Amino acid sequence: MAKLTKRDYREIATGLAFLLPNLLGFLSFTLIPLVISLFMAFTDWNLEMHNLFQDNELHAVGLDNFIRLFSDPDFFTYLGNTLFLMMGIPFGVAGSLGAALLLNNDFRGGRTRQVYGIVIVTVVLTVSCAALVLTGMGAVAMTMLVCGTVGVVLLGGSIGGQTVYRTLFYFPSFTAGVATYILWKKLYSPENGPINNALQPVLTAITPWFSGLTPRMAMFAAAAAMLLMVLVYLVALWRAVAAWRNGELGCYSLMMAVLLLSLPLLLCQHWSRLSWGGALGATGVVLGMLVLARGLYIGRDFTALRDYGMGNAVVLDGLVMIMLFALLGTANVITIIPEAAASDAGFSAPEWLSDYYWAKPAIMIMGFWGALGSKNMLLYLAGLSGVSRELYEAADIDGASPLQRFWNVTWPQLANVTFFILVMAVMHGLQGGFEMARTMTKGGPAGSTTTLAYYIYTEGFTTGNLGYASAVAWTLFALVFSVTLFNWKFGNKYTNE
Amino acid sequence: MTLKIASRSLKILIIHLVLALVATGLVLPFIWMVLASLKPLDEIGLDSWLPSAFQWHNYADVFSMRGIYFGRWYWNSIFVASWVTFLQVFTSSLAAFSFSRLKWKGRDSVFMLYLATMMLPGLVMMIPNYQNMIFLGLVDTFQGLIIPSAFTAFGTFLMRQFMMNIPSSFDEAAEIDGASKWQLYWTVILPLTRPALVTLTIFSFMGTYNSMFWPLVMIKSPELYTLPIGMLAFDSTQGQQTNLLMAAVTMSVVPVIAIFVFMQKQLVSGIMLGGVKG
Repeated sequence: MAKLTKRDYREIATGLAFLLPNLLGFLSFTLIPLVISLFMAFTDWNLEMHNLFQDNELHAVGLDNFIRLFSDPDFFTYLGNTLFLMMGIPFGVAGSLGAALLLNNDFRGGRTRQVYGIVIVTVVLTVSCAALVLTGMGAVAMTMLVCGTVGVVLLGGSIGGQTVYRTLFYFPSFTAGVATYILWKKLYSPENGPINNALQPVLTAITPWFSGLTPRMAMFAAAAAMLLMVLVYLVALWRAVAAWRNGELGCYSLMMAVLLLSLPLLLCQHWSRLSWGGALGATGVVLGMLVLARGLYIGRDFTALRDYGMGNAVVLDGLVMIMLFALLGTANVITIIPEAAASDAGFSAPEWLSDYYWAKPAIMIMGFWGALGSKNMLLYLAGLSGVSRELYEAADIDGASPLQRFWNVTWPQLANVTFFILVMAVMHGLQGGFEMARTMTKGGPAGSTTTLAYYIYTEGFTTGNLGYASAVAWTLFALVFSVTLFNWKFGNKYTNE
Repeated sequence: MTLKIASRSLKILIIHLVLALVATGLVLPFIWMVLASLKPLDEIGLDSWLPSAFQWHNYADVFSMRGIYFGRWYWNSIFVASWVTFLQVFTSSLAAFSFSRLKWKGRDSVFMLYLATMMLPGLVMMIPNYQNMIFLGLVDTFQGLIIPSAFTAFGTFLMRQFMMNIPSSFDEAAEIDGASKWQLYWTVILPLTRPALVTLTIFSFMGTYNSMFWPLVMIKSPELYTLPIGMLAFDSTQGQQTNLLMAAVTMSVVPVIAIFVFMQKQLVSGIMLGGVKG
């Protein structure tokens, strides 16, 4: 390092003087606590034992906290919960993209704008009257309410255009917090919540449709869903191997793709309600390995760098993975239909937050409500406005259909926005779930909504095992950091492809 | 030609309809919230969302409930959020000034350190910070809520991004006029960063107003609760009074919605500023 002159010192002093207030806070509330926290993770620090009034000796316990952590089945359950809840992310991102695409349309009606307003309101009134006639007088007020809201929104939208819709879309995510979680808790209430009030009549009405469904038929339907799952898996794997062969995927990227795709099938063992679900999943994986082996045996036509195409592989195969999980879920739901349809009450609406299986989906639905119009939508809108018109014009000249336009122009042009959004969402998702768990479910029922963040809270601040909680926090940190590393290493590559 | 216009109109109409339906779906929970807050308690579970008679006094009742210091919590939240916002904006604009307008050796490495900590999960620091607060005797005080939140790496980053875009000719002109660095900061740069200041103010205020983890850990006495943990207490002690609970929820969401509606433009630009490079 070059010798510092007097002038350098003066400059450093001025710079630090301005930085000082922030730096002090930064040191005392971020950097030093970070070091202390790492230290705590290797001790038996306990809130009750080690405080101002109780001067017990602090023991260094080495790796004990981490050993306890990794031999604790609860920890893996909670990690699984966290990852399960994160499967809502792609749906939210897709929703944001859809909303942004809709909002990005050209709204200017020119001179005819006022006319649209009137036309639209007329349509709404007609529709609502028709609905009134159809539903009978019992639900008059409710129908009026909903149609009236749609009418008001339409009127606002036809006058104010994009801004009005964007504002309304952004409401849920902007207000997200304890207040809206309490609101949703009430909405989900099994006894008198509006969701079940609306859902139950529908479910009762459709029960007879399924009364002919015997357990055997349901079994076949579920099996069909499972077979479809295996098929989708094999096709996706086939394409990944083909991409590797033409040099569109590096070998590390291929490994990542195989890993992501195989995960749902391997989990069939635990998650499938069909007795032979696990075996089917395993068979699928074996077939998949054969596909892979065939590809490896034939060899590559073109070689790519080992991690080439990693971003692409993770985003697309991640989506396929979610799809596989969705199919598995569908198969599971189908198997319980006959039993429910045969019962006296018919289908009953789920008990949402107080049901072991429904609590997580309930939270994911609420998350979707918040994610649709979130700041991701705004980022997509900004991204869309940056796509050059010429690309679309070129696509039009080539006679591309709207779908082709989307896949060949819009989606690649938005790739870096999507990657950024996904990385951020994954990082937040790993640390997330505390507020919802604390407000809506207290982590239950039976720990089914306890995420790692909530676990740290209960261990650290309710039970008082600060040492152990620090160990969990650092494990979580390692997970988040690996995502960050992934972002640093592959983020740019994805964008440059 | 007429056909083309007609099909275009139809397309626009359909887009409007889809958007309006989705928007209505997203807003419905809020509509239920407001309507439920105006119902008598025994009408809550009914199919009809509309109250038979609007019970406006529900809103007044929230303030007089036993064990629920709603007015107090409102005030606490706004008090704490205002202080945190003021301190955050002040400290991070100073730091950003140092990182962007001053030249000193080691500046960029210090900034990198700041950036790196933005990735840290806040949870990791919570535990030692809590011990720290016990040690300083700040548990169950407003100082304990305000001081650890007064510094933000994100805000520093946001302000720096903005300040980097101000041409350096301003600095040179100020230097020729003999302005000190403080004068440069206070009279030249700060007024020019107004948009970023407004954005950061909104973010900080909203973030603190909604924050739950730290107050939940720190505050024990009900009189010192902020709204989020107050709402938690309300929900767990008297949550079966759905109509009053919804009135409270409505009142606690109103400031947020107001800020959003009036500050929308600044917010959107701020999200772009923080998101594009973040």
